[in-house]
Amino acid sequence: MGALSPTFQTTGVSGRGARFRRATRGRDAFWLYMVIALVLLALEIFGSGVPRQIRGYANDLAAPVLALLKEPIDAAQAGLERVAGVGDIYLENEELRDENGRLRQWREAAQRLILENERLRQILKVPQREIPPLATASVIGVGGGAFERSVLINSGTNENVAANLPVVDELGLIGRTIEVGFLTARVLLITDLNSRVPVRMERTGDVAIAEGLNEAFMRLRFLPVDGVVQVGDRVVTSGHGGLYPPDVPVALVTGIEDDFIQLTPLSKLEALDFVRVMDYRPLPPEQPSEDPAQNGGGSN
Amino acid sequence: MAAPRQARSIIGPAGLMPVAVSVFLALLMLLPLGSGVAGYATPHLVMISCFYWLSWRPLLMPYGACMLLGLFLDLWLGVPLGVNIVMLLLTRLFVLNQLKYYKGKNRGVYWVVFGVMAFGLFLIAWLIMSAVAGSLLPVDTVFLQWLVTSFFYAPIAFVLGRLRRWIL
Repeated sequence: MGALSPTFQTTGVSGRGARFRRATRGRDAFWLYMVIALVLLALEIFGSGVPRQIRGYANDLAAPVLALLKEPIDAAQAGLERVAGVGDIYLENEELRDENGRLRQWREAAQRLILENERLRQILKVPQREIPPLATASVIGVGGGAFERSVLINSGTNENVAANLPVVDELGLIGRTIEVGFLTARVLLITDLNSRVPVRMERTGDVAIAEGLNEAFMRLRFLPVDGVVQVGDRVVTSGHGGLYPPDVPVALVTGIEDDFIQLTPLSKLEALDFVRVMDYRPLPPEQPSEDPAQNGGGSN
Repeated sequence: MAAPRQARSIIGPAGLMPVAVSVFLALLMLLPLGSGVAGYATPHLVMISCFYWLSWRPLLMPYGACMLLGLFLDLWLGVPLGVNIVMLLLTRLFVLNQLKYYKGKNRGVYWVVFGVMAFGLFLIAWLIMSAVAGSLLPVDTVFLQWLVTSFFYAPIAFVLGRLRRWIL
């Protein structure tokens, strides 16, 4: 290699030969590994990709170390939040008391409505729509860098988590599982470029698609021509396509500029901690051989 | 004095330090640091580490190590296999070919060289990812990651330098 040539000039004939051989081996190694990398990339481009199972188990290798490294970070963050929050504690207490009073009223109203809803469902013989949680998991890693938006959670096949299950936090939809190992699963976030979530405008009922852009926000597309949308409108899943259950909160409309409708996710994607994997499997399990184009991460 | 230290460090277990530190930094890249900026523009710590060690101890960061680091990074980050392998192999190729021009210069020169190299590598990665996606990806997030990575070179290189003087 080029860097070896300065020393190459200062040595004798035998040393020169040895260094030349070493350099050649280095160049050979470079091309060998480069060819391997290009073959792997070609497999990704042309659709074969690496089996998700391999990626899932590779994440299992990193999971114990990540869980260990996360402890001091969590402790430091909690400490910082505590220090930062001391000054505001009185005001926060006042606000929480007010909120608590309001929530108590809402709770009573919600309990009445649940009972009424249940009675009506029984009368009309409508099946239950509540989706039971399959696992509650902690986010132990983020992935993708500048190119993809995904997180790693510490639940895998050990807790019956499978691919293509919806994942939510306390505020709304986060994404869906894509690679599942024994201890971990990767969740493709709704803001990922490959993410497409069938949604419904809560106010008008119009259906559309919420598209990820690899940014903090998303874009609403394929709204009907006569669809009316306003800033502040809430967007929920429509249930179309079968990947997500209907009526899960997704995002708020936060900007409209010409035909670009900007959505801001309701869930705290920038600071995820605990998430819930929902046990929603209306579709048969995915076969590895079918639709290989989605093996590398796929679209929602 | 320098020659025996170099020989000892290559032969002994301390010689594994550059690769071990790079693996640790790869895991650090995966940690959820609880901030939007961190989540969307994590510095490419492994690229910084590889550049640093290749500039100071090239024999301790062979092509095989770059390949394995890239492979695990691709698997852990969930990006198409090959992206980080190509980036790290090219990092080694670049450093080995250009080291003679900047070796022994002050730290600012190393920083600038790293910034230029990182720009080229992120550009290549963006092209590869666009080819895999089948359409041109937005450049702003990649540009932001290049900025953050270039900025973080100095503090990370400082820490790695302390480590190198202490162990190797």
